[in-house]
Amino acid sequence: MSTYYAGLFADIGILFLGAMSVYIILATGQLSLGNAGFMGIGAYVASFLTVEMQWPLTAALIAAALAAAAIGIVVGFPALRLKGIYLAIATLGFGEMVRSFLLNFDRMGGSGGFHGMKHVSLEYIWLWGGGIFVLIVLLERSRLWLEMRAVHDDETAANLVGLNTTATKVGAFGFGAAVAAVSGGLFAHHHVYIEPGNFGFERSIDFVLAVILGGSTVGAGAVVGAGLLVLLPEWLRFLADWRLAAFGVLLVLVLLTRRQGILDRPLLDKLSLRRARA
Amino acid sequence: MLKVRGLEVFYGPIRAVRGIDLDVESGEIIALVGGNGAGKTTTVRAIAGLTPYKGTITYDGKPLTPNTAELNLRAGLALVPEGRGILGRMTVEENLSMGTYCRKDHAEAARDIERMFERFPILKERRHSLANLLSGGEQQMLAIARALLSRPRLLLLDEPSLGLAPKTTTAVFELISSLRRDGLTVLLVEQKARQTLKIADRAYLLETGRVVMSGRAADLANDSLMSQAFLGGATSPEIGSP
Ligand SMILES: Nc1ncnc2c1ncn2[C@@H]1O[C@H](COP(=O)(O)OP(=O)(O)O)[C@@H](O)[C@H]1O
Ligand SMILES: [Mg+2]
Repeated sequence: MSTYYAGLFADIGILFLGAMSVYIILATGQLSLGNAGFMGIGAYVASFLTVEMQWPLTAALIAAALAAAAIGIVVGFPALRLKGIYLAIATLGFGEMVRSFLLNFDRMGGSGGFHGMKHVSLEYIWLWGGGIFVLIVLLERSRLWLEMRAVHDDETAANLVGLNTTATKVGAFGFGAAVAAVSGGLFAHHHVYIEPGNFGFERSIDFVLAVILGGSTVGAGAVVGAGLLVLLPEWLRFLADWRLAAFGVLLVLVLLTRRQGILDRPLLDKLSLRRARA
Repeated sequence: MLKVRGLEVFYGPIRAVRGIDLDVESGEIIALVGGNGAGKTTTVRAIAGLTPYKGTITYDGKPLTPNTAELNLRAGLALVPEGRGILGRMTVEENLSMGTYCRKDHAEAARDIERMFERFPILKERRHSLANLLSGGEQQMLAIARALLSRPRLLLLDEPSLGLAPKTTTAVFELISSLRRDGLTVLLVEQKARQTLKIADRAYLLETGRVVMSGRAADLANDSLMSQAFLGGATSPEIGSP
């Protein structure tokens, strides 16, 4: 594989993880526009551990994921009282808060950024992407998923069958935060240099976009969305200055024809399960 | 079984329920009737643990904590809310499966789901369709079936006949009577007072957040004030809060 494509596939893997972090939270009906904040936390914590503490990367990523999950849970308790657009704005605020904290955090380079990480292989990125994807597919087949969907569907009804909806939502938020942190840690060790600007609002939007485009009702949608989001602008290069406009038009067209995104359960079933059931 | 004393519920500055006392004894069907906006929904939501309130609600002699629906359910108190509260984007079977969420006896719970399918053949027929796609009457059956799967001892029903055709309404009332015969205690909120008083043992009439009349259902059905207010038409009259 050329380094050009290796770079693209690494970007896809990192975006895939970010998209999955949004997907998990979205499964309970909550839209987070602040996952780049968790990604940033993951990037900085993991980089600090590998560069300054000489931790192995895998251990650093796990620690970063746990740290982000803890922060996600602490932030989630008050934030998840909010619903819909108010929650979206609150998470956006959280993301910006993290970014400006990192800007002023001189211990980790502040606005100058941080470097010294060792470059990580494409395979390693996808090992994480694949591993977390398998976790999500297992989750989608579990009883817990039914509970998450119930919370998404009607919180009062879910509450009335005995579900602690706060715990479900906060749990999903924490898990999403952890996955975003892994994405950040891998980003840091792929680009071997990070700065707070890497983890701004646009990144959070990219995550959401990948999920909405690829399919927001199945985990596999995240990989389709991440792939398209990275590859389409490349394939459209021949359009030169017009490529982003063309990309935007394509995006609108897809959403006009398939509101649920490209992949959904019926399409997935057609691709796989029908054979298994027959 | 259930004792409500001095119940008050506020929506911001609005006092929707203004000091209600209410008793439910085991094995009874208690009716809570009254016009639109009388505070019926607010009262049962408070009992089910969906809203904060002032006053005390004791169940089996133990005071309930406000706003803890999931705990109240585990104590044996299930609510079928106004509007049914089905999980519309989940299948009939998934709805029923969620009904057993609070139970630990998984094998027995699975058998209970099968029993529900026998009791409601229409639900079995449509077990794989989305709950949204059921008719109003089927949705109400599903909502009640799901509530029953938590094995409650006290079932709160908030206007189960709302929006149903007369024939379906009759079926729902028959179902409620049969639940009582099975030993369930029912607190039934309704606007269709005539039919409700027929199957209830005792009734409370609510008006603007207060109990204005209570007693044996048969007596209330014969009361002149009551009949002027509610029983005039064959169906439920709409009365606004004064
Ligand atoms: N969510 C709410 N916010 C503000 N006021 C409410 C709300 N729900 C109900 N109310 C008010 O509380 C009063 C009682 O309503 P409700 O309990 O729904 O009556 P009922 O079920 O008897 O029709 C009404 O005046 C209604 O307008
Ligand atoms: Mg009502």
